Amino acid sequence: MTGAAGAMVREARDEDAIAGVRPRQVFAPASLAEASEVMALAARERLRLGFVGGGTALELGAPPRGLDAIVRTERLAQIIEYAPADMVIVVQAGVTLAAVQAEVGKHGQRLALDAPAPERATIGGLVATGAFGPLRMRYGAIRDLIIGVTLVRADGEIARGGGKVVKNVAGFDLPKVACGSLGTLGLIAGAAFRLHPLPEATTTVQLDALTADGVVAVMAAARDAQLEPAAAIAVTSGERLDLAVRFEGFGRGVEHQVARFVEVARAAGAAVRDATGSIWRRHDAIRAATPRLRVAALPTQLPEVARQLAGLALAWYPTLGVGFATGALDGAMLARARAALTGGSIVVEAAPERRAELDPWGPVPAAFAIMQRLKQRFDPDHRLNPGRFVGGL
Amino acid sequence: MDEPPAAPLDPALIARFAAIVGDRNCIWRPDELRTYECDGLTSFRARPGVVVLPATRAEVVEVMRLAHRESLPIVPRGSGTGLSGGAMPVPGGVVLGLSRMKRIVEIDFANQWMRVEPGVINLEISKRLAPRGYYYAPDPSSQQVCTIGGNVAENSGGAHCLKYGFTTNHVLGATLVMPDGEVVELAGPVAEPIGYDLRGALVGSEGTLGVVVEVVLRILRRPEATRTFFATFPSTDEAGNAVSLIIAAGIVPAAIEMMDRLAIVAIKAATGVDWPDVGAALLMDVDGPVAEVEHTAAEANRLARAAGAIEIRVPRDPAERDTMWRGRKSAFAAVGRISPNYVVQDGVIPRSEIAKVLREIEALATASGLRIANVFHAGDGNLHPLVLYDAAIPGQETLAELIAGQILKLCVASGGSITGEHGVGADKAAYMDDMFTDADLATMSFVRCAFDPDVRMNPGKVFPTPRLCGDRPGVYVAHATERDGLAGRG
Repeated sequence: MTGAAGAMVREARDEDAIAGVRPRQVFAPASLAEASEVMALAARERLRLGFVGGGTALELGAPPRGLDAIVRTERLAQIIEYAPADMVIVVQAGVTLAAVQAEVGKHGQRLALDAPAPERATIGGLVATGAFGPLRMRYGAIRDLIIGVTLVRADGEIARGGGKVVKNVAGFDLPKVACGSLGTLGLIAGAAFRLHPLPEATTTVQLDALTADGVVAVMAAARDAQLEPAAAIAVTSGERLDLAVRFEGFGRGVEHQVARFVEVARAAGAAVRDATGSIWRRHDAIRAATPRLRVAALPTQLPEVARQLAGLALAWYPTLGVGFATGALDGAMLARARAALTGGSIVVEAAPERRAELDPWGPVPAAFAIMQRLKQRFDPDHRLNPGRFVGGL
Repeated sequence: MDEPPAAPLDPALIARFAAIVGDRNCIWRPDELRTYECDGLTSFRARPGVVVLPATRAEVVEVMRLAHRESLPIVPRGSGTGLSGGAMPVPGGVVLGLSRMKRIVEIDFANQWMRVEPGVINLEISKRLAPRGYYYAPDPSSQQVCTIGGNVAENSGGAHCLKYGFTTNHVLGATLVMPDGEVVELAGPVAEPIGYDLRGALVGSEGTLGVVVEVVLRILRRPEATRTFFATFPSTDEAGNAVSLIIAAGIVPAAIEMMDRLAIVAIKAATGVDWPDVGAALLMDVDGPVAEVEHTAAEANRLARAAGAIEIRVPRDPAERDTMWRGRKSAFAAVGRISPNYVVQDGVIPRSEIAKVLREIEALATASGLRIANVFHAGDGNLHPLVLYDAAIPGQETLAELIAGQILKLCVASGGSITGEHGVGADKAAYMDDMFTDADLATMSFVRCAFDPDVRMNPGKVFPTPRLCGDRPGVYVAHATERDGLAGRG
């Protein structure tokens, strides 16, 4: 087999499949130059490619129309540059989120991204899937933290966008275009991020057994009181939802906010207690569950979301209007919920047993024609994860 | 720069534009066109063929269709406050002014978003939201006059983007009129829109993708408390050190602005603030819940003193705070009091390089004999050196442009950027090659071509050399295995 220079090559195994489609071989370039050579080789030989980081989102999307090879980023695992004083880090795609956090944690900093499975999830995969966790409430999703990207294009050319300073409007925002593009525009080979200080203190308050309306009301009351939680999750508990609200910052500030929030919550009729951590574990379990949906709607539509997904376990980010659900899914429920939540979206993130029945993306977005033209420019032969993204992109 | 000759449009064509927007809103007489020859960067001028000022989305669509049929270039324009020549017309082309489209369409406080037309003034948004205790975060210094459409085009920042992010972090969606007149919704108020992040591509694209006719913005609850302080230092070294200590202590100020001696002199002359004559000053805001803010303000104060602050002033009331901020925000105009002309730069450097780069800028000033004032967003390393000159002295304008260019090269060499918030426009297109390779720029043009394959939207901006989109990419060719029936296209 022709290895592209030193890029390691092996035959594919079952576990290399993307959305059930097994490639024939696996490349694992160890440098940006090797990644470029692999991509150029694939262009010459017209290989259809998928990209794999930590393998935490391999069920996301429709089955590719075919895969000749995958490119694994595990050997692109270098932290290229970390300047604590600038609070910026530049890393290769195969670095795990946990490795980033360990490095920047030494300097009291963090990448404010608490996506699931940090020990396995890689930076490339997190960018490709547009990752986020509960901290998105305060810090935004990965699109709000990324400041630079290195892409290896379908033709093997290396292209960078953004840079390594937080503030920068030179040129088109390729980092944002890369976020959530699911490996359909090129290989995400590296990225740069802004960092934030680790908080001195963190306290979570838990409110048990609220109705969906109650969750909306409590969060509205906290906003009216000018409280600024860093994260909030509402997780199914029987027919109701438990709500955990996390405050972060300096010690006195956190204490004060927690005390105020408890007042606000009690005034709204909620029973308050210290969080035990189990609610976060329930949240983590739903985010890792198979099958799993990702649901987005306006925050005040939570009652409708809960009605539509009755019977499923829900982990909901109440101020963002995004959540995850697991349980017995079927196509009729999915279609009904999509119709009811107009303006929102439901994505099947993982459902390997029911691939044929569950449309992973739902209807194409209004700007789909532009998306098709964008794909055509980046990948004119449709070789990169062909058909995996919405509408067969 | 001399005025370029006007390339008059066919009167019959002008009449067709006038039929869409009305005679009063279709400007074509040479004396009236003069207003539209440049934006805030007045040294870059061109005379358009016609300026049309639509009032509705339907009118924008008709204008765009007509321009498409006639293959005319379009330059969108808001208030024309841009500082990079982004709204400079194409000679003889169409300028599409959006300042009449200033409706606030919808506000949803419960879900924290609002929909506005592009001609709405940035500050008007926060004024409108204030009675309910909400605001829109990005606050460019020109916020009293600049439009939200222009902010979207430029991905505008402002002093408070250190904590709150830029326009791109606050735009949830947009309605775009494509170069051929088609209307497309890009994302919207609900999180997690499906597909590519086209609104991310749109924000900061400098009017090269289409015309925004509505924008969906994120709105924020006002913080409970804001603490402001103004600290003076012997030099920018101590002031820079104070910034580093504050950031290293884990404080994320809402804003930290630095001004050097010359900038302070200019601001005093223009606004009458009673600031002392010192080597440098910092103006800083921390905001958030009261208890948090009291702690961070006290800590930042302590660190500023530890770094060598001469004096720290805390405003006694909101009026005094406003005066301090007005001083800072008027800095560019203020420099007009101490110099007949000036060039503003907008380079970005890693924060830790501030002291070094400032010394290099000072060396450029000494070597050239030109004075350079510095005001900047110290928290994120966004410098605004103002190179002062007198256009009446032969050669000084050219020298000032040269020095400004060298400052940009310093920024790129230190790992930064040629523009932090003013945009590339016409002014800095020539410097894009210093920052990006040909492959980088070609890849950016993939995005452009997906929206505007004929390159009629604001041509000549952003990219250093004219880039055409070439042939539209060919139709999809099936892979061998598909042709052979081994795989389908599901």
